[in-house]
Amino acid sequence: MFFLKLLSIISIFSICTILGHYYGQKYALRFENLVALEQCIKILETEIVYGATPLPEALSNVYKKGKPRVSYIFEEIKRDLVANKRSFVYDSFLEIAGELYKSLYFKKEDVEIVLSLGRVLGSSDRDDQSKIFKLVLKQIGAQIEEAKVEKNQNEKLYRNLGVITGIGIIILLI
Amino acid sequence: MMKEVKIYDSLVGNLNEELKEALRKVPLHLKGKVEEIRLKKDRPLMIYYDGKDYFVSKKGEVSKDISKAMIVEGNHIESTFQLISNYSAYAYLEEIKNGYITVTGGHRIGIGGKVVYGLRGIENIKNISSLNIRIAREKIGISDFLMPYLIKGRKGFYNTLIISPPQCGKTTLLRDIIRNLSNGWANYYEGFKVSIVDERSELAGMYNGVPQKDVGIRTDVLDGCLKSDGIIMAIRSLSPDIIAVDEIGGKRDVEAIHEALRAGIKLIATIHGSSIQEIKEKQSMREIFEERIFERYIVLDRSKGVGTVKELADRNGNPISFVRGA
Repeated sequence: MFFLKLLSIISIFSICTILGHYYGQKYALRFENLVALEQCIKILETEIVYGATPLPEALSNVYKKGKPRVSYIFEEIKRDLVANKRSFVYDSFLEIAGELYKSLYFKKEDVEIVLSLGRVLGSSDRDDQSKIFKLVLKQIGAQIEEAKVEKNQNEKLYRNLGVITGIGIIILLI
Repeated sequence: MMKEVKIYDSLVGNLNEELKEALRKVPLHLKGKVEEIRLKKDRPLMIYYDGKDYFVSKKGEVSKDISKAMIVEGNHIESTFQLISNYSAYAYLEEIKNGYITVTGGHRIGIGGKVVYGLRGIENIKNISSLNIRIAREKIGISDFLMPYLIKGRKGFYNTLIISPPQCGKTTLLRDIIRNLSNGWANYYEGFKVSIVDERSELAGMYNGVPQKDVGIRTDVLDGCLKSDGIIMAIRSLSPDIIAVDEIGGKRDVEAIHEALRAGIKLIATIHGSSIQEIKEKQSMREIFEERIFERYIVLDRSKGVGTVKELADRNGNPISFVRGA
């Protein structure tokens, strides 16, 4: 009986701690992914504005040079673009929107910024593209700041909340 | 014929899905003949062959009946432009400024729309309203019968001018002559080092640095380069035996030609016109004629199909009798 009780206590404590950790981690991951996204978009900017590299090749280069945690989405965009012979680049960006929410923990505003890039990517001259990249990078910069504040506020909070909830349930049960 | 059909199908594969659908259904015997595909916003889908325009329906039927024609919409043009520019308008801006894009296979796509001027001349073409797709047909061997009249001994070459109205195959003929000059003929003459100044990317059809047309093994290409600049650059850096240029005519071109001749380099060029006399009367060409720079004139027309050699003449304009090719 004692062992059963001990096992239940350990299980409840572990589950609550893991859940707290998971929710806290989401804030940290969003922040880290946004930073990686910023780096990827800077690489894409270099490829397009300075190298005039055709878009499919530029997207592949971002995949190779960028941080893998985010850069793989650029390869997916390229694959979709080329394989489906999309009429518009935006269509391929829309295809990966779900992935941005699900795997990178991006918020709606973050995804909108990525999609806004997809709407105009490659469709104008280099000067225009340069202006677009500057705007997008500025917006991502603001999102990074916001994500950092949220991370600092919530990461620890959720972790502690998980532990405290676990202890609370155990006390109530005992 | 099958090769021509393949070229047509692969080019059509780069178009918008709905256009592709219609154009792929065009009868097989016509696919090999099509010279141009014309897309104009809110206008019927047209193809051009045998010197005439025809309308194409959604089912791929080709006729003169406009009521059956498929209407090209704005989004067809927009998405075709995205596909042909490889989603990278910025990478083709220099070409777009000149009014065209060259795609894989060396096909040239002319662009119509709103031309945007800036401080440095034309900056871009926006609101694209029409695309004129010219199918580049490579006809290997069409110049073979002419080569004996252009070669002097085993190592010499006569400066040659090809005179032809538009759409009569002057670029195709020039390309094949270049190929023959560059490769050489066993037991007849050795290959020459040829430099092509390909201002409009039509001759070699360069795509990603690779000539899409067979221009021979000893050929260097200055792609997208102004003729006047390219001739000087070739003299200085490529040590050519022969320089080849398409569509000469400007004053600066003539100056550059003189420069090449002073360096002992031979020349082959084309010019728009229908006879030697007509060219002689052009202000910019008068000097060249007076100096008798060109030693062979080839005049083309369409009397027996595209690329018919109407006349072959020597430096004085006297006809040379020749045996026509098959």
